[in-house]
Parts: sequence; C-alpha cells; structure tokens
Amino acid sequence: MLWIGLHLPLLPLESFLATLPAGPGGSEPAVALVEAHRIVHANAGAQALGVKPGLKRATALALAPQLLIGQADALRDRQALTSVAHAALAFTPAVSFALPQGVLLEVEASLRYFGGHDALLQRLRDALRPLGHALHCEHWEALQGMGLNTLGDLRSLPRAGLTRRFGEALLVELDSALGRRPDPRASIELPASFDSALELFARADTTEQVLHGAQVLLARLVAWLAAQHAFVRRFSLQMKHEPRWRRDAGTPLHTTLEIALAEPSRDPKHLMALLRERLSQLALPAPTLELALRASDIARQPPPNTELFPTPRSEREGLTRLLERLQARLGRERVQRLVPVQDHRPECAGRMEAAALDGSPPARTGPPLRRADVLARRAVARPVWLLPQALPLAQRQSRPLLDGAALQLLAGPERIEAGWWDGDAVERDYFIAQQPDGALVWIYRARMPLSAQSEGEGWFLQGRFG
Amino acid sequence: MPSTASFAAAPARLPLPERLHTSVWRGHQMGRSVERALPSGFAALDAQLPGGGWPRRALSELLLPHPGLGEIRLLAPSLAATQRAGRLVMLFDPPAALSAWALMQMGLDPEQLLVIDTGTQGIPGVDGRPHEAGVDARLWALEQALHSGHVGAVLAWLPPRLRAERLRRLQVAAHAHDGPAFVLREMAVQQQASPAPLRLALRAGGADALSVRILKRRGPPLAHELLLELPPVLSASATRKARELAVQAVEAAGAAPPLRAATFVNLA
Repeated sequence: MLWIGLHLPLLPLESFLATLPAGPGGSEPAVALVEAHRIVHANAGAQALGVKPGLKRATALALAPQLLIGQADALRDRQALTSVAHAALAFTPAVSFALPQGVLLEVEASLRYFGGHDALLQRLRDALRPLGHALHCEHWEALQGMGLNTLGDLRSLPRAGLTRRFGEALLVELDSALGRRPDPRASIELPASFDSALELFARADTTEQVLHGAQVLLARLVAWLAAQHAFVRRFSLQMKHEPRWRRDAGTPLHTTLEIALAEPSRDPKHLMALLRERLSQLALPAPTLELALRASDIARQPPPNTELFPTPRSEREGLTRLLERLQARLGRERVQRLVPVQDHRPECAGRMEAAALDGSPPARTGPPLRRADVLARRAVARPVWLLPQALPLAQRQSRPLLDGAALQLLAGPERIEAGWWDGDAVERDYFIAQQPDGALVWIYRARMPLSAQSEGEGWFLQGRFG
Repeated sequence: MPSTASFAAAPARLPLPERLHTSVWRGHQMGRSVERALPSGFAALDAQLPGGGWPRRALSELLLPHPGLGEIRLLAPSLAATQRAGRLVMLFDPPAALSAWALMQMGLDPEQLLVIDTGTQGIPGVDGRPHEAGVDARLWALEQALHSGHVGAVLAWLPPRLRAERLRRLQVAAHAHDGPAFVLREMAVQQQASPAPLRLALRAGGADALSVRILKRRGPPLAHELLLELPPVLSASATRKARELAVQAVEAAGAAPPLRAATFVNLA
C-alpha cells in the first residue's frame, strides 16, 4: 500500500478566491477569512501586512485597511474538497477524505500506469490547477526545530516523552500510519448526479463576471466526469438573482440556462465556449448572486483516440463542434440544409431545413429521389438563384424590361401547370431571357387571362442563372 | 578582395531566386505554392492561375456587379470535386434562395451542402453602412468555419464596404482551411487593396459565357480578359439565336463582329 496525502492548508482561502470577480492582472489581493469576528485564515499577501490568524477583525483592518475580508464557510470548503477528491478519483479508485483539509489516495496499483511517482504527482498538480488549488509542501516547524527531520527520527524517540510533549493524538496518528493500529478508511463514492454551487462574493452584473464564476464550476464538473470516464450530454447553469431588484416584483428569482451538446464532451474549453455563446445571447433580468451547475445526463463511452493525422472520424467531430458553435450563437434555424422537393412549381421545389447537429443528412420525408428523376430534370434548365417573390417587370410594347433595358427572349415557352390539387394553382409560361450584357434570367407570364386574374398580368422575374 | 572576386566570378552558381522559397518568384513568372491547387474545371482559367487552379489555404476574391452572371457555374466543378472527396461545402449568406435542383444539375450534392444564414442581411445601419453588429456576426461565423479547418470549401457573400483589416483577419483564418475559400464582393472595391492573393472580376460575356479579368495573382499581370464558355443553360438553337442577336447588336452599333467559337478572346 502506497498512499499519497493531499494536504490543502489553503483550501478555505482558495475556495474563497474562486468567488471573487476577476481581478486586474494576476496579482492576488490580501485576503483573510473571519469566523466569529476573528481571523482564521490569511493568505501570503495578508500575512506580509502583519495579519495573522487569531487577530480580531478590527485589529486586522487597522493593520491593513485594504484587506479583503471574507466569511469562512465550511460548506463551501466541503464542496471544494469534494471536487479535489473527484479529481483524484481519476487516478485511483481508493480515495478517502482526511478531514478537514486533506484527501488520501492509495496509488500502489496506479503507479506503473501513470509512469511513476513523480509523473503521477505532476498529473495531480495539473488536475488540481483548474480547480484553483495548488499542492504545497508543509513542514512541521516545531519538529524541525527539535532536529527531527524524518519520521524515523520521530519513531526513535521514547513514546512517553512524545505523548507528554505533543499529546496523545500524534502517537495515534503515527501508529495508524504505520499500521500498528487499525485505520479503516472508507473510499468515497461518486454521487450519481453533479450539483455544485458557488456563492459569488460580489454580485455579477456582466456576462464576463458570471463566466468567471462558472469557470470553477465547470472545472469541478470536468473533474467529476473524469473520475467516472464519462462525458456530459446536457448540463444547466442556474443563476440566482438579487431579490427585489429595483422593487420589480416581476423579476424572476433565478434564470436557468440549459445547454445540450450534440456530441458528449468533457473538454473544459469547448464547454466554456458554448456557455459563453449562450450567455451572450441571454439578457439577464437582474444581477447574479449565486451560481449552480447541475448535470445528470452523461454518456459513458471510451475516450476519443487522439490521432496524428486527420481522419474522417476526427474531421466529423470537428465539424460537429463547429456547427454547435455556429448554432449556439446564431440560432439553430440559421444553419440550414437545402432539401429538394418533387414539385414543378419553382417556389415549392425546394425548402430550407435546420441542419442536424452532427452535420448528417436529415431523415428524408416524402418519396425518395431516384437518380432517374435527377437525370430527367437535367434536360430542363433551372436557375440557381430564385427570387423569394416573383418580381413584376415593366413592359415596353409588350416586351419585358429589367433595370430599364429590354430583355431578349431566347428559349421558351416552357409551360408549368401544377398545384391545382392544393389550391395554389399556377399556369405559367416560362422563358429564358437575356439581359443586354448576356446574363440569363428566367421570366414568366401567366398562361391565360383567367389565371392572370390571380397572378397578375404581364411579365415576372422568377430567377437568375448563376 | 578574393571573396568579392569569387562572388563576382561565379554568379551562375547562385541559386535562382525562384528556387529559394516558394513565396519568391520573378515578376514574369507564375508563382508556385506548396499546396496543390484545386483545378477549376476550366482549362483556359487553370492555365492562368498560379499552381493551375484555385488556391487552398487562401482567400480567392471574386468581384461581380450582381448575382446571376454564371458565378455558380464557374465554381461548381471545383465544389463538386470537394464534395466527391467527402468534404462539406458551406455557403454563407447567399443573396437569394438557392434551387436544389439547379445545384444537382451542376453535379453538386445538396446533402453535402450547408447554408449559414446569419440573418443580418436586412438590418439597416446608419448612413447606409451595414450594421456593425451584423457584420460582426457574419464575419465571425465565416472565420470560425475557416479556422476550424474541417470544412471542404467555403463560399461567402461578404457585406458591402468591408474594411481591409477585416478581410485580413479572414485571410489569416484561411491559413487553417485546407480548401478553396471564395469570397464574393461588389465590383466597387476593385480599386481598393485586398489581402487576398487572388482577385478576379467577373462579368457576363454573352449568353452562357463569362468574362474573367484577373486583377491580382501571384505572377505577372494579365492584360486581357478570359472568356470562359460555361456549361450551357440554353439549347443549341437558343444559343444560335443568342449569337445572332449579339451580332445584330454589334452591327447596329457599327462595330466589327466578334470572333466566334473561341475559348478565349484577347479583348485588350
């Protein structure tokens, strides 16, 4: 059995820093946490100003007026620690809490897979960084002062003397660590669904501020997913608003943003990009005080292979992501696909459909297109560009005019008489005509005076040959 | 000095400038490119394009006075080739509705075609300029598609009066795009500088013909226009009629009849 103990002495401070709005530059402000009007934690910046744990709140403020004081919150720390444990679960199944600020990993079986002790530690460091935590090495200064540098030195001392000096607890801990005393540890289990909340220190007025807070929550979500080798299919971000904002009773208490993914993913960059696009579309009714991220719809599937050269599969995935991004910003119906329809009326011979998210062709409705149909249609020329509404043309001596110049009829008439069955009958004679510069257009006139009553007299421009 | 003497004595052994790097060429030569160009399907045009076709990883700018000159028929062979290679073609903000049947007649597959309508064409802006936010959305979508490198070919109708730095951004994004990227713009910008390495001005050259003027290419300037015969829309008899009408028009104007049945004509 080989254990790695993650000791996070700065966990309360780090979990508090995550709730702060993004500061200018990367400099960390002087921060201290208070509980019952006494400082319990102070970061390096605050300690440099003379603020130490145990000081009264007023004393600390007198020492350092610019000190940022937050309330210690055991629940917030617990959530952060849970995420650390989730991140650790990606490396070994045996992870247990060493409360209040530690996580223990049993890594004997995983060492070989991850390439040794140092490599594993490096990976742990990388996994914890997005959560806003850092690994520290701490020395027990009192023991060092006594010349005790290793546990071996400690063990060689008489037990009675140690108990008198440091209390019973140290020996108990030592014995448990050495296996002389039973120390059962319950491995933590992953919750079935993800739910993490973050109370923001300052209210978030802009999308950027909300996104900054959501970043930590997304990192926690990714850690939870990585622990079970899963990918998220759908998640929701709930923004709790300031109550009674401008005394408007109509303001909702919270806004929920549902995000569904075409392809399950746990890439924090991609999730963040989607969140950014969707949030920028949203007008929030009031400032946000608290964020909550929830996810339960996940897909357990093997991780995608990374490929050196692009393959059709990796290309399709990239395309899906591109379409997802475009649809998130522009709207789903803006990414369209042309669908040919078996109809002779030009305005009914095709329609636009919202494309499927993965870029695959839509399920075909109606009779399937046969190759013969396409070939048969090849005999008759159709213009690429169709006007949404046929444009009435001016006439001079019953010849059509376009942009003030006479059109010369080159081919036609081609009669299209269809649609009597759905009450939208057309009876038209189509001609291909030439503009003076040679560009070809498709024009028609109503076939009979009777049909001209419904469609109007004279010539109409239907399309252009592109 | 001996070094200078040897330098002067052996100029022939110096590498030719065009062998130094693919982006170096002499003024009278055609530029080359590391990337294989995509044949346009028109031999007369390919002969005048550096690399023998449409460039990949770069913008190709087409200037045309109005849609419906034959620009889709000009691009259809290369787009169809892209689709046959199993890659997607994306169209951004086409100026009118497209007919799926007409595209199929040109050999394109509507299933391998996506139309991105950024929905910003109709938004009016101040003093006639297009709306800035609308332009942003259009260019953003195009830039994303170029940048992703997963789209086979891109065909985009750009908003009018686009600033050069925005076009430059697109050109930079196009480096990641392994395929042709056509941007269609209005004729009025032909006097303005553009970062696109290839610029063509199109105009109708008679029925079923397209006149192409190469404004810019990696190579010597081409003085004459190319007259390309497009895949015909008209039947043989209608084509004859169109030619007769053209001859009549020229005779009425008192000029000499144009050369017939030539693939390209030097109009310079």
